[in-house]
Amino acid sequence: MNKQNNQKTVLGVIKKTLKMHPVIIVFLALLVIFGSIYPGSFFSPINFKAILRQFVTLTLFALGPSFVVLTGRLDLSYVGVWMLGGTLVWLLKPILGIFAIIMIPVTGVLTGLFIGVIQTKAKIPSFILTLSLLVTYTGLAALIAGGYPRAVDGYGFITAPLIRAIPSTFLWSVPLIVAAVFLMKCTRMCVYLNAIGSNEEGARLAGINVDKYKILAFLLSGIFTGIGAIILFQHLGGSAQVELKLNNIVWPLVAIVLGGTPLTGGSGGPQRTLLGAITFTIFYRGLYLTPLHPTMITLLVGIVLIVAIIISARGLKGVTVT
Amino acid sequence: MTREKILTRPNLSVEWFRNNTTTIGPIIFVIAVVAIFQVINPSFLSYQGIITLVYAMSYFLIAACGLTFVIMTGSFDFSVPNMLKLSALICVLYIEKIGLLVIPVALLVCLVFGFINGLLLARFRVPSFLATLGISIVLDGIAWYLSKGHLQIMQDVKFRSLTTTFIAGFPSILYWGIGIWIICTFLALATAFGRRTYAVGGNLEGAGLSDINVARQRIYVFMLSGFLSGLAGVLYMSQMGGGSVNIGADMAIPLFASVVAGGTALTGGVGGPHRTLLGVIIITWIQAGMSMLAIGNDIQMLTFGLIAIGMSIATIDRKRIKIVK
Amino acid sequence: MVMPMDDGLLEVREVSKTFDRVVHALNDVSIEARENEIVGVVGENGAGKSTLMKILVGVYSPDKGEMYHKGKKVPFPRNPKEAARRGISIVYQENGVIPWLKVYQFLFLGHEDKYIKLMKLQMDKMREQACSILEEFHVACNVESFMHELPLSTQKMVEIARAILGVRLESEDTDTTPIIILDEPTSPLTDDESKELFRDLLKMKKNASFIFISHIIPEVMEFTDRVHVLRDGNLVAQYDFSKQKMTEEDLFRAIVGRKSSEYISRTEEKKVAGRKVVLSAKNLTKSGHFYDVSFDLYKGTCMGFFGPAGSGKSQIIRTIAGLLNFDEGELKVKDQELKADELPHVRLARGIGYFSGETGKELFLNWSIAKNISIINMEKILGKIIPVIHFNAERKMAENIVKKLEIKAPGVGTDCYSLSGGNKQKVSVGKWLERNPDILLLDDPTIGIDVGAREDIYEVLLEMKKKGISMILVSDEPKEYSVLCDRIMFVREGRIQKVLGPEEFRKVMST
Repeated sequence: MNKQNNQKTVLGVIKKTLKMHPVIIVFLALLVIFGSIYPGSFFSPINFKAILRQFVTLTLFALGPSFVVLTGRLDLSYVGVWMLGGTLVWLLKPILGIFAIIMIPVTGVLTGLFIGVIQTKAKIPSFILTLSLLVTYTGLAALIAGGYPRAVDGYGFITAPLIRAIPSTFLWSVPLIVAAVFLMKCTRMCVYLNAIGSNEEGARLAGINVDKYKILAFLLSGIFTGIGAIILFQHLGGSAQVELKLNNIVWPLVAIVLGGTPLTGGSGGPQRTLLGAITFTIFYRGLYLTPLHPTMITLLVGIVLIVAIIISARGLKGVTVT
Repeated sequence: MTREKILTRPNLSVEWFRNNTTTIGPIIFVIAVVAIFQVINPSFLSYQGIITLVYAMSYFLIAACGLTFVIMTGSFDFSVPNMLKLSALICVLYIEKIGLLVIPVALLVCLVFGFINGLLLARFRVPSFLATLGISIVLDGIAWYLSKGHLQIMQDVKFRSLTTTFIAGFPSILYWGIGIWIICTFLALATAFGRRTYAVGGNLEGAGLSDINVARQRIYVFMLSGFLSGLAGVLYMSQMGGGSVNIGADMAIPLFASVVAGGTALTGGVGGPHRTLLGVIIITWIQAGMSMLAIGNDIQMLTFGLIAIGMSIATIDRKRIKIVK
Repeated sequence: MVMPMDDGLLEVREVSKTFDRVVHALNDVSIEARENEIVGVVGENGAGKSTLMKILVGVYSPDKGEMYHKGKKVPFPRNPKEAARRGISIVYQENGVIPWLKVYQFLFLGHEDKYIKLMKLQMDKMREQACSILEEFHVACNVESFMHELPLSTQKMVEIARAILGVRLESEDTDTTPIIILDEPTSPLTDDESKELFRDLLKMKKNASFIFISHIIPEVMEFTDRVHVLRDGNLVAQYDFSKQKMTEEDLFRAIVGRKSSEYISRTEEKKVAGRKVVLSAKNLTKSGHFYDVSFDLYKGTCMGFFGPAGSGKSQIIRTIAGLLNFDEGELKVKDQELKADELPHVRLARGIGYFSGETGKELFLNWSIAKNISIINMEKILGKIIPVIHFNAERKMAENIVKKLEIKAPGVGTDCYSLSGGNKQKVSVGKWLERNPDILLLDDPTIGIDVGAREDIYEVLLEMKKKGISMILVSDEPKEYSVLCDRIMFVREGRIQKVLGPEEFRKVMST
């Protein structure tokens, strides 16, 4: 009765994949466009390395929040975790030595738990909660560090080259990516988070402890951001940062939306974010080769975000948008 | 069968306080803020101190009034600070070429972007927070592009005198701020526009059934917010006499905090610009008081972040909404 | 009314439930479900159907009553999981489907713990099982497709399969027959989809027993084996279709069950012809809901669309209000053609008001009475030169209405939150009285309010009619039609069957 996929042919699989992930077309198109305009510089090892480096930054920031976006909520606290965690490392390095780095994941976990509980129980819109928390963290980080970025030594091993031509931070982030994809593909988490994002009331009727899984989503976001921020800490200069940059907040969001996780939740997830991150990176690095002024690039990024959101919000019926 | 509730006038005292927490709370808050800073720093309420407070709150009040209208409809406008920045920079960059005509130009630009914000929400169904976030990046990009990131100094005396002339002992920016605030209060409470704004925030479906073009009202509200942010930017530039792309960098959370601290809930339908005055006083006076005491930007951000979280928890109407995202 | 029980699978006896010690939701109701049958529970809105079902699945606990499972006395379940262990599961009327899950994910939602091995969810095993289960229940769909890609009837079938599966996975007793409660399963479906659903349901009968809740009479007649009729919290009748011959009219009367004396028409028989036509529809069609609806509405008259729930009557009125778009046909107000996709506020500008009985929908509950009345009467209270609200005028307008309708409130500044249901409704009517539209659409205008307030509202509406306002009524309360309407159109399956005057209507309903 139930005909298993009759499109087992290669063409069928490709067709289906493209239909599910239209961003692949964009990715390939960008590759072709930039590759044909700047064949020399675009495919150079230097650019390849730069692409990988930026991909790592974007992915590690965007991986955690993807879990939250899947439930239809937003978590903007990732930059805050990275900044506050880094500052705590700087503060505690003299006491804990090399183990001070543990402060970053600890910050991440506590943040995730805090946001999850407050969002679920006190019912505050997540974007404003996490944004406020982000600002609070920035203030706290600046307060602790005394207002200046502080260099921290001793974690150079994170970026120490392992294989030539591939940044080692990329290698370090592979296990994290694999863990996220495993969670999404092979555990019931994926089903539950999807269900909550798609129809929260229905998930409740189906007997799922919705509050628990919402908190879990925020917690996972905290954990992944926390662990990712260890790598990012060294990757982005090995110092405790105290200045909040809008780009750091917005680019991961662009990667998530571009990857195909609609901000209303219900489908997608971290595995798609990878696609979004690589597409965005290609887009950005490609534009970087053009004679465009960097501010024009910022402008284009904003437009891409809006267009991506419009496209992902299309076809949502009956959802009240505020 | 009718079970009429026996409705009596509330006896003053406890009951009255309980029913008016949203009004009394901010007033107590203001008094506490003033008292604390006055005790720590006796020059807080000196003439010079008060002038500082006036300068800090006036342009901020105008921008906050615009945001209040948006929050009243249950939406959010993230682009207010960047709108303010762009309008301020347009003024300083082009005043030499076109003179005071820059003011209408700056306002028009902000009005157009406000319209785009509204259109993205009402027609393209993009959640307002994200639509305005995207627009604010675009605005940021334009600001960088126009100013090339350099510090710009406003040389035009006439433009500067818009806000810095002293009338009856206070700089004219105060009268701008209070004037706009009165107009906004009037607009919200005594006109059909205000009623419709409250209606859209209070009961979206009911608003559609009650003679209200919901989409158009939303667009109008975002246009108003854009216009007022633009005006705040013009006055800011006139008051400060210069600035770079860093204008308004840390304003988003204090702005939001001042609106909710006044008693306009994120869920929409309640509060209003008249309440925002108290919220703005709380926030900007804390800011100014801390600056007078040489307390750094870091602690200020920390404070406003916490106030924003606390106030959202306090004001949100949990009964009315089932699922919060 | 205790049944003789022979092959009863599940039986509840003399169940009573009151809310707040005032409202008797259920009064000594006994029902029974047998092995492999579809038993209907029918009744109007508020008859107690959903309360009874919520007791069966453990959402509510009853005040008194007994439950028997396979002849053995058992306590009532305390939560849905416990009910599932007894073999009882429910398919909710709405919101049950999760659109962005794949079919096999949805089937096992909440029961994944049975398929976890070394922390890993065994997707392949789930997929295989899902295939075989769907095959067993004759549900034709691909387990890999998303729920929202399936037709609505298939979605319902998957939901039903999920409910049966839940019982199988949770139940201690492996060979128990699952009892599946279907709460108005056809309400989101079109006619064809409903037929599809029932065809599949009959095939599923050998796997489970169904308790079928509905107020759509034809489908109950056609597909259930027996039926229990609830009215006002009482079990008023039960029929076994295999033993009794019945017509739809009989069942309808059992459900409605009014005494004829209640149908006192207060409309004087008037000649409607010759009056001005204010609204006319020609061949109005919204596929899936109603077809070829044509009528003329005359000035100062009231027309009713009457029919069972699901007949399309409420879609007709919502289409006229601008809440739905029609597909074909034309709608004219005073010779001016209306576009299909106009929103309610545009229709209101053309003189068509929409008054719904659901107060939460139309009123702004945190606003005062005065503001609620003035929101659709803005022009009257705005200044002529400067468009500013004149608060005095607003207050006077509201005070007039409050006095006229005898709304019980301390003042016009009172928030609508604190008013009782009947008074809220009066505020809603009051604002339309003040607005004075050409046409007023009444969508269940007195739902959920008490008799006294009901009469008051009828009076106001009749007075408005006398003033020349034309009305269209849709209601679940047959009495309302005879009170308000000059002409009543019978709607069935989306088509107008016949047109009656109030006298004839009264005769039809009371015999």
